[in-house]
Amino acid sequence: MAEAAIIDSLKKARIEELLEQGKRLDGRAFDEFREISIETSAIPKANGSARVKIGDTEVVCGVKIQPDRPFPDSGDKGIFICTAEMLPLSHPTVETGPPGPHVIELARVVDRGIRESHMIDVSQLVIKENKSVVGVFADNVVVDYDGNLFDACSFAATAALRSTRSPKWEFKDDAPALVEGSEADLPVGTIPVSVTMVRIGQHILVDPNADEWQCMDARITITTNSDGNICALQKGGHNGFTLEQIKECGKTSVRIGAEIRKKFDGISAGSDAKQ
Amino acid sequence: MDVRRRYVIPGDTITSGPYRPEQNVTLVGGKKIVSTVVGVSEIYDNTVKVIPLAGKYIPKINDLVVGKVIRHTSLSWELDINSCYVGFLPATDVFGRDFSAHADELATKLRTGDLVAARVANFDRTRDPLVTISDRDLGKIDSGDLVEIAPGRVPRLIGKRGTMIQTIETATNSVITIGQNGRVVVACDDAEGLLKAKKAIRMVNSMAHSTNLTEKVKEMLESGNGAPRETTTTTITTERREDDRE
Amino acid sequence: MGGREATMVLLDENGIRCDGRKVDETRHVMIRAGGLKNADGSAYIEFGDNKIVAGVFGPRDVHPKHMSDTDTGILRVRYHMEPFSVGERKNPAPSRREIEISKVIKEALEPAVMLEMFPRTVVDVFIEVLQADGGTRCAALSAASVALADAGIPMRDMVAGCAAGKVADTVILDVNNEEDQAGQADMPMGYMPTLEKITLLQLDGILTPEEYEKCVEFGIKGCMQVYELQKKALSEKYFDGENGRGGSGRSQKR
Repeated sequence: MAEAAIIDSLKKARIEELLEQGKRLDGRAFDEFREISIETSAIPKANGSARVKIGDTEVVCGVKIQPDRPFPDSGDKGIFICTAEMLPLSHPTVETGPPGPHVIELARVVDRGIRESHMIDVSQLVIKENKSVVGVFADNVVVDYDGNLFDACSFAATAALRSTRSPKWEFKDDAPALVEGSEADLPVGTIPVSVTMVRIGQHILVDPNADEWQCMDARITITTNSDGNICALQKGGHNGFTLEQIKECGKTSVRIGAEIRKKFDGISAGSDAKQ
Repeated sequence: MDVRRRYVIPGDTITSGPYRPEQNVTLVGGKKIVSTVVGVSEIYDNTVKVIPLAGKYIPKINDLVVGKVIRHTSLSWELDINSCYVGFLPATDVFGRDFSAHADELATKLRTGDLVAARVANFDRTRDPLVTISDRDLGKIDSGDLVEIAPGRVPRLIGKRGTMIQTIETATNSVITIGQNGRVVVACDDAEGLLKAKKAIRMVNSMAHSTNLTEKVKEMLESGNGAPRETTTTTITTERREDDRE
Repeated sequence: MGGREATMVLLDENGIRCDGRKVDETRHVMIRAGGLKNADGSAYIEFGDNKIVAGVFGPRDVHPKHMSDTDTGILRVRYHMEPFSVGERKNPAPSRREIEISKVIKEALEPAVMLEMFPRTVVDVFIEVLQADGGTRCAALSAASVALADAGIPMRDMVAGCAAGKVADTVILDVNNEEDQAGQADMPMGYMPTLEKITLLQLDGILTPEEYEKCVEFGIKGCMQVYELQKKALSEKYFDGENGRGGSGRSQKR
């Protein structure tokens, strides 16, 4: 895992020294994201897709739609699953094989942010109640690592889902049958935006890069919806936050989230936009 | 001094002439001398070699390298030296012959992440390179910024008899430690000078095969701010890969 | 596989294929050297609708240790497809097909890579298929070779990949997905242009002895075209410094 990368002590000292002067090593303000680029339809053969770059961090998300059996306790709802994987070419410390705890946490936090925002109305993804529903799979792969994978994966999945065209099925002879030539947008509503912050000493930094990630005491990822409400959250790292800091992070996530949300407004199925 | 230079990639035939193959070339069919890396081929005197533009550092005994401590056991440190192999620094090198694994704590001297200037004391293909920091000018590096360049370009950064690096040091009032492994540490009290020195080093790295490099670096250092736009054509572009496949 | 009834016109009366190509024409190929910040070397290839990225690490320490060889370096290759790269969502765990392809690509690269120079180390090649469209292994091999050169790993030669095959009783170059599904034969190939050696060769389908020879010749022709694009990709990154992307990339990248 990239968590295991070692930052040289001169750089670490420089980062901490600059923070005391109110500066970041790459010149950003404390609450400033790196440049975010969002390219939809990166994988034309998928039902929806996006390539997102935050600085040098790069994530590709592809959405696949296919009929599935509903979960036994929710036969009136479709299935939404969001995953995340760190490809071994993204960092020298990533190992092949089953994902470790960091990657599993990443996937679950990204999934939870989108799920809990109710971005996707799963009640509209039913082909035949209790028998057959539409499954929406948003798979994120990390291609290059420079910190803050939580937000990069979340942005990629959100953009990919907004760009998705879904095939249609009808229930015939006890099985879902594809309705040829009939496609529709996914039932998407609110736009979840995740904002990750780290604490280094007394300072809270938005969108930490890989070097800052190595210096952090604690981190928090807060997802807000289009109403400006907080819908999911995850604290991590080996230390904690004060109440004041947590409140500040909440405010920052709403404010920065609202700015970033504008980037997603223009993305819809068939927009093919590079934002 | 007639040196024939050309850009090459692996598999490119450099010459079929009667030359002696040296670094980064291989003999094909007993006649063709072929490059094994991306780089600049040089035919000089009766020899052929290629200066690589990418790749890791291959340790050589007596080289000065800049290493990063990546872990330690109770008997030694391991250094990342930008090589295929991990540098091995035994505790006795720092604590002396009286080193006691019970009494001496390695972390009091060097910690994970620390940068050190070290010399390759021993290396052969059967074991990892042994490095030492027990000499003048060696040991932990306490200040400065790390810049990484391709190991193949270190000679250009140093320049003939150190001219290039002296030019940069004098103009920016900085102290620069160059590891043969492509790790360069720049120390400078003045923020402006630091920025300029780093810019000059990166410039040498990206233009290592163009002519009058020292002049261009000087020009940049003397200018008010930043590097001049690179507009030069190199002497070798014209004859680039005309006899690639014969 | 061979001899399956074609349900679509794979080759019309003018000798034009289902995607508009002539029999001896490859799909559009684009190769870029570099691109990844953390990998020691990398490359990206678009081969028709295939989109593949390759990253190389090493030579480096071998983990687990017992895999290391005191006499030589070793090569590890992982070919992997993303869940969204194919029609139906693919399980992310490696399939038997991916494991086999990893092995044949590894064996296609091994004759080129001078591993004996780096005993006790490993060179890791990671290939990720973002979108698949028939002929992924040849495209992957071509990208991997560029990524190895970009990592500065000594090689006797480049390795280029391209497939030949047969549709409508005609030998063709560079088999696409439809032709692979409905055609009569598919022969993926890897080739070292300077050493003139074939290092990857497989065949699915039936060929006459004459067609077999023609297929191999066609394949080499395709590989030579891919080789030119490999050279171009490396030249663009390393030798066209003035165009802004140049230099050795990694260390000067901010």
